[in-house]
Amino acid sequence: MNVSVQERVLRVISEVLDQKQNEIRLDVSLRDELQVDSLKQMTLFIALEDEFQRSIPPEEADGLVTVNDVIEFIQRKLKEPSLI
Amino acid sequence: MNRRVVITGAGVISSIGTGVDDFWHHCLIGKSSVAPIPAHWNRHADFRSRLWSPLPEFNPESLGIAKSERLQLDPVTMLSLAATRLALKHAGFEAMPAEDRVRAFTLIGNDSARSGVFFGTGLGGAFTFLQNHTHHLLRNPRAVLSEYVGKKAPAEDREMLKSVIEHLSHGIRFNPFEVSMVMPNAPAAAIGIKYGLTGPNETFCVACASGTVAVGNAYRAVRDGRVDVAISGGCEFFGDEHGHIFRSFDVAGTLVRDCENPDTANRPFDEKRSGFLFSQGGAAVLVLEEFEHARSREAVIMAELVGFAESFDAHSMMSLAPGGVQIERMLHMALADAKLNPADVDYVNAHGTGTRNNDETEAQVIDRVLGKSVPVNSTKSLLGHTIGASGAFEAIVTALTLRDGKTHINRNLETPAHDLNFVRHVKNFDPEIGLSQSFAFGGHNAAVVMRRYTDRVNST
Repeated sequence: MNVSVQERVLRVISEVLDQKQNEIRLDVSLRDELQVDSLKQMTLFIALEDEFQRSIPPEEADGLVTVNDVIEFIQRKLKEPSLI
Repeated sequence: MNRRVVITGAGVISSIGTGVDDFWHHCLIGKSSVAPIPAHWNRHADFRSRLWSPLPEFNPESLGIAKSERLQLDPVTMLSLAATRLALKHAGFEAMPAEDRVRAFTLIGNDSARSGVFFGTGLGGAFTFLQNHTHHLLRNPRAVLSEYVGKKAPAEDREMLKSVIEHLSHGIRFNPFEVSMVMPNAPAAAIGIKYGLTGPNETFCVACASGTVAVGNAYRAVRDGRVDVAISGGCEFFGDEHGHIFRSFDVAGTLVRDCENPDTANRPFDEKRSGFLFSQGGAAVLVLEEFEHARSREAVIMAELVGFAESFDAHSMMSLAPGGVQIERMLHMALADAKLNPADVDYVNAHGTGTRNNDETEAQVIDRVLGKSVPVNSTKSLLGHTIGASGAFEAIVTALTLRDGKTHINRNLETPAHDLNFVRHVKNFDPEIGLSQSFAFGGHNAAVVMRRYTDRVNST
């Protein structure tokens, strides 16, 4: 597990959702428990684009359910070349 | 219902200062910020004008705009939010975090339903529109070309192709919030959302007169009892990546041509004027209040708004009607609204762009209606032209002039093109009535009239 990526993802989620970073569990559902609606999801993924300098088309982010899914998704994206 | 309307706060983000005290100090010392246009713009066109007035580096987070907000707001909206925050603080309003909304505030002791927003802009979120458009247009060709250069292009062509790729620069994403970032009403809406103001929320798109028309309509809304508090002002942001907006004014022949000496290039009302100085933009916000409302919370009153009028040239999209007949009519209507006569006006903040046509027509009208002795200056001689924000900046300067009994110089005025009493030195005088006027592409004319606030006025 790449801790720094995890921390960076949690920091971004915390900022976008205005929630304390240490209260966000990895297995929590974005939609059901963190109340991430479609607008918040767009904000979250452009914030992650900025943080990690990778392009994240909306269709790629659609299937992500939990915070951990997002972290693993970003780890995969980081293996691709930066398109930004 | 005719209620008294007072200005109780002002906030600015400008090329010469942030916050009204810093801005006014720099106005009074005749500061101007003029620089060569960004060098990379020259890749795309041979510009006739080569100067602009850039904004200082803007740190949204230091002015209360979180990173996640920044991602979904055009810079013009961020400037507006920042100037509003400064204006509300200047007006003595205390904001507390809203209970039901994230990153939003409630103004303590204020009736949100009796508070409105009246805001002007010329092009709204044009920056975002252009940034997204370049991404939409160039991202795929650039990616294809980059791959070709990396894998297949003959070695002798690579430098040339890399140069082409460099020209195909584009925004980093097609922002999913584009619609709400580009729409001209975004600044007004963002202010209403940020402070939970549920009264009327209106946007005025009348090019260079937007700020004045916004302040004038806010004045009417308070005077007529629609609201007790009005956040009013104007905003603009023209710092697009490729100099597209600059070019649109440049090809129209409106921008300053004589760029040899940046310090003296911008010279409204001077014989040698050659166009207006393009500004990167800014935001200027005034807090207007019904007089008793302001007094009940012991607000410090800057000046009283007493008149407003508009007229339309019905002549040309891009030039003033010769003779300025509709401007003259507008001035008489504004003074009638204020129950004043032309001889009562002690100070004029002119539109004063520095173009040959504007300054000639405007000077003729001032001479005809208000006479040769009334002090006149152009705030654009300091700021350049901030288009949709300009009228709001100039309304603030008018209020400060009345408050302090002094005003800024008409910068770079060496040989006046007309025999008027242009302000050449900062000195104390005793203005009771001030007038600020704006004219716009399209043919829109507008003016606001203000009265100095004193205890004597207080007792009337």
